[in-house]
Amino acid sequence: MLNRIVLHITLILSFFFAAQSISIASYPPGEEGALCLGCHNNKEMSLTFKNGEKLSLFVDDRSLMTSAHKNVSCSGCHKGFSLGDHSKRQFKNRRSLTVWASDACRQCHTFKKGIHLRMLGALREVVCVDCHGSHAIQPVKDSGDACFGCHKYGLAIPFKDGSRHSLEIDEDALKSSVHSKLRCADCHFGFSSKEHPDRDFKDKRNFTIITSETCRRCHFDKYTKTLESMHFNVLLKGNLKAPVCVDCHGAHGIKTGRTEKIESARRCKSCHEDIYQTYAMSVHGKSLISMHNQDVPVCSDCHRAHDISDPRMADFRNNIPQMCSNCHANEELMKKYGLSTAVLQSYLEDFHGVTVSYYKKQKNAIRHIAVCTDCHGIHDITRTKGPDASIVKANLVRRCRKCHPGASDNFPDTWISHYEPNFKRAPLVYTINLIYSIFIPFMIVGLVLQIILHIWRYAVNR
Amino acid sequence: MIEIEKKNGEFIRRFHPLRIIEHQANAITFIVLVVTGISQKFHNSSWAEWIIMNLGGIDNARVIHRTTGLFFTVLTLQHMLTGSYGVIVKKWMPSMVINLKDFTDAIDNLKYYFGITDRPARCDRYDYKQKFEYWGVVIGGILMILTGLTLWFPTKVFHLIPFLPGQIIPAAKAAHTNEAMLALLVIVIWHIYNSVFSPDVFPLDTAIFTGKISKERMIHEHPLEYERLTGEKLGDAHSEEVKAEPGPEEISSAP
Repeated sequence: MLNRIVLHITLILSFFFAAQSISIASYPPGEEGALCLGCHNNKEMSLTFKNGEKLSLFVDDRSLMTSAHKNVSCSGCHKGFSLGDHSKRQFKNRRSLTVWASDACRQCHTFKKGIHLRMLGALREVVCVDCHGSHAIQPVKDSGDACFGCHKYGLAIPFKDGSRHSLEIDEDALKSSVHSKLRCADCHFGFSSKEHPDRDFKDKRNFTIITSETCRRCHFDKYTKTLESMHFNVLLKGNLKAPVCVDCHGAHGIKTGRTEKIESARRCKSCHEDIYQTYAMSVHGKSLISMHNQDVPVCSDCHRAHDISDPRMADFRNNIPQMCSNCHANEELMKKYGLSTAVLQSYLEDFHGVTVSYYKKQKNAIRHIAVCTDCHGIHDITRTKGPDASIVKANLVRRCRKCHPGASDNFPDTWISHYEPNFKRAPLVYTINLIYSIFIPFMIVGLVLQIILHIWRYAVNR
Repeated sequence: MIEIEKKNGEFIRRFHPLRIIEHQANAITFIVLVVTGISQKFHNSSWAEWIIMNLGGIDNARVIHRTTGLFFTVLTLQHMLTGSYGVIVKKWMPSMVINLKDFTDAIDNLKYYFGITDRPARCDRYDYKQKFEYWGVVIGGILMILTGLTLWFPTKVFHLIPFLPGQIIPAAKAAHTNEAMLALLVIVIWHIYNSVFSPDVFPLDTAIFTGKISKERMIHEHPLEYERLTGEKLGDAHSEEVKAEPGPEEISSAP
């Protein structure tokens, strides 16, 4: 009775103070609710389970008022509870109460299709309130949290080949990824709490490749690049082992590609193990692995990250001098290691360099011309000074013979290395250049003087 | 002066038709070698790129250069053989051989240019300038052939002469490219001046095209040969004074 008077006063007050909250005026749970809240608005009130867990029996009237169930009376869900009768049922723990209480939802919410039907069939652990809340029942928004309601449990997707793939998501990995700000549906386009398209995948690889297609919606530039890549080409030809986005970048725990160089190299290693081992023994690899030197090139520096081209193609080969010179013609960088930056220019001025430069312009190169890697090694690049120098030279003559059959053992000496010919290194070349540099101007000046004298004499005679 | 010569129409045969063909072949060969060679030397410049690309690429340019080089080799070899055969067997006058008089002629001419003497050197069939050019072409040509073949067959060189050091290849390249530059400059400056722009021959010395030289120029430039051919003595003051004297219409001479 008192409550009713309070209610009436409130109604009258709200009439005069229209700006006041309407929600208070339409107090939802009705008479019964008011009765229940008479006790359950006590914050001290709690229930203790057999295992000692405690559950607060406090119900916040404000959360009730904003709930989707604001017009449902308390006993609508809490069957068997009334002012005079409170179920005496005992529960092992808090969870078992939650699971039991969730059964009430099925009185009204029955599912014939869709995500709820499949989920209820597949999951014992997850119940309605896990996603929707209890008293403050809300339609689930497509926030990441909603997805975790199910996807933190051991869900799995079955494939046609009988295998299964876990759909459990590591929330921490996702939150620490570069995509932490994105919502699930940003990548999983067409998925929400209401819509879970039924898709049939042949196997896990099929699933991964098709799911990877979603990346292009944001990373279109990278995606276009991959279309020109060797990996995509192989994939098209039917080799499903060819990597797609997630194979290198990960799926949910995506990290930026510009992390430690060694990480990048290790990603390639997962398929190209033998090449990685060769690289690890090279001058670059040793420095990276033992000294964490970030100056050295890793796989992607030469082969590029997304538009990886076939290194056996002429285009790739003919670009190698420019590739190496990205670092080896960099004055500042080479100074650190005491290396010469004249290597590119001296190569380009040589017969092979001229040929390669023109092959690049002509775009019809059919022959393989010696480039940096032919003398210095491909993945097994070694130092040219010190104890490894003799190995380099020994390998050299074999490479020479590929194009110059019958090359004698001293044939590699015909390349007087990347230095300007000087008297010590190449006395013959140096002397010839010196003689001509004196003789040509001497000759030309002499001849021009003769011509001038001849004309002068002719003019004087006239 | 040139006008009078033409009116008189007195010419002396100077070159055998075979020598004319030889010169023209050598000239064309030289031009092709220069065009394909210099564009390889200056491969970075845009004009060189234009030439090479229009020749169908670097490989084509090299094939043309080497084939023409081969032709040049044949030309040079046949010339040396013909010359030697002619001089030794047919007893031609060894008019191309350099002798002491060429050096004194050069000094005499310099004296004349400076006004120390009032008469230029009196030269025979070939003056010292022509001999200088001729031997430049022959010796330079042999050098170009040898270094060119070395660059063309870099591995064969070491089979032929096994003890050669490796740097013989870059040395051959240095010699080939420098010698080519020298030859080009000498031809462009000296030969083109003497056969085109020199006031004595301007607008063109036609002797190598027609095979004939005017009596006037013959007396002026090769007085000793003229005297030997005609048997007449020109005396101290020549050219202007003797132009009215009758001479043989055409006198064949050694190549």
